[in-house]
Amino acid sequence: MIEIKNIYKSFEQKEVLKNISKVFNKGETNLIIGRSGSGKTVLLKSIVGLHDVDQGQILYDDRDFTTMSTKLRKKLRQEMGMVFQGGALFDSLTVEENVRFPLDMFTELTLAEKQKQVDFCLERVNISDANKLSPSEISGGMKKRVAIARAIVMNPKYLFCDEPNSGLDPETSLVIDDLIHSITVDLQITTIINTHDMNSVMEIGDNILFISEGEMYWEGNRTEILHTENQKLQEFVFANKQYQRIRDDKINDL
Amino acid sequence: MRMNILNQTGKYFSLLLKVFSKPERHSLYMKQTFNEIETLGVQSVGIVAVISIFMGGIITLQVAYNMSNPLLPTYLIGLGNRDTLILEFSSTILGLIMAGKIGSNITSEIGSMKVTEQIDSLEIMGVNSASYLILPKIIAVVLMFPLLYILSVFFGLIGGMIVGPAVGAVTITDYLNGIQYLFDPYYVTFSLIKCLVFGFLIASIAAFFGYTVEGGAFDVGSASTRAVVNTNIMILVWDLVLTQLLL
Repeated sequence: MIEIKNIYKSFEQKEVLKNISKVFNKGETNLIIGRSGSGKTVLLKSIVGLHDVDQGQILYDDRDFTTMSTKLRKKLRQEMGMVFQGGALFDSLTVEENVRFPLDMFTELTLAEKQKQVDFCLERVNISDANKLSPSEISGGMKKRVAIARAIVMNPKYLFCDEPNSGLDPETSLVIDDLIHSITVDLQITTIINTHDMNSVMEIGDNILFISEGEMYWEGNRTEILHTENQKLQEFVFANKQYQRIRDDKINDL
Repeated sequence: MRMNILNQTGKYFSLLLKVFSKPERHSLYMKQTFNEIETLGVQSVGIVAVISIFMGGIITLQVAYNMSNPLLPTYLIGLGNRDTLILEFSSTILGLIMAGKIGSNITSEIGSMKVTEQIDSLEIMGVNSASYLILPKIIAVVLMFPLLYILSVFFGLIGGMIVGPAVGAVTITDYLNGIQYLFDPYYVTFSLIKCLVFGFLIASIAAFFGYTVEGGAFDVGSASTRAVVNTNIMILVWDLVLTQLLL
């Protein structure tokens, strides 16, 4: 479980995050949603420690990340996996070497044991026959899947995904969403996904936080979101006419 | 402007502190260092050889052209070429050229990793990205630059030996006598010290500009240019300082 309490973050004079608090549960896909520029990525990067917060607490299973020493932070980071928007695979390494990298860096496993773990993770994300290819030789969807494989290779307790569906076609997006959701449930990890994709919200949104202009506006789950009275959230969700129709149909059904 | 320079200098030294912290896994760093020696050092041998042969030939021609007095012995042409190569060309001028070749390579590689979040990805894993990416490059360039210097002197002398006799400015015997005449080994020691310093400057300054880049491909290009310009200036400043201190 990850808990954030009263998070504030500014860049120079601009206040980007204002008093955000939320509990992200274990075994659930926790979503941070909001428009582009709303502060989602800053919040996610603050949670993982890529940005230092100005005020507030970030607790990883009651361990305070904000006051932790660099040494302890590095250790805690070995319990984290992150999937970046563009995949962030290392260009100079093959698919297999990318996935094996954390194992090479932090474990004492033999090469055979590492290979077994790499094969397991690549199989888990439905990638085969691409082990020896370089990231430039695979598609966007495959890059995301390799990034997920690399993120879970160390059996993390916490998984973070920054816009995992950006640049993907709807079908591949669905595959990625399902994959992240099933990994979260199967491995019982705490997953936080940063997205503005409403399809993802409706597919896998177990626990949703909506932020706008750096402020927390709403929290709930995917069934509650269609009935929201929150004006800002309505503008965000029903910007897509498809969801207006879904809402109207549901209301008519009632 | 002054604050900006101070700010950048402070950031440079704080990055160096991060670079020289304890590596997570020595074997991976070692492997990375050998890769960098190959990429940054061995792959520069060709260009160093070509430039040095031509420059050796050109310096020989220029010395011969300026020795219009028939009373001056022609073996001085070899001596002039040797001392120019040993003292300045193969260390400083080659340093400036390598700042362009190796430096821009380092900045663009690290800068591209930065803007595509590969560096963030390393940090999330708990890897000291600065140390993992920059330390092997610094070690590789500091180790390889003195070797490139020695190769450059060798090829420069060969260049002079080809061009001098070819244009009839000096005989091979006189040229060979000249390059051995009044040889002071300290000149080589002095230049090797300069190479170590220049190697460090080239790798660390280029890495700094790559590591601190923000934005996209355009910014990586700008950072690359700034890295080369700043490295060149620092090489010249340190050349002046070391010449005053050591010669």
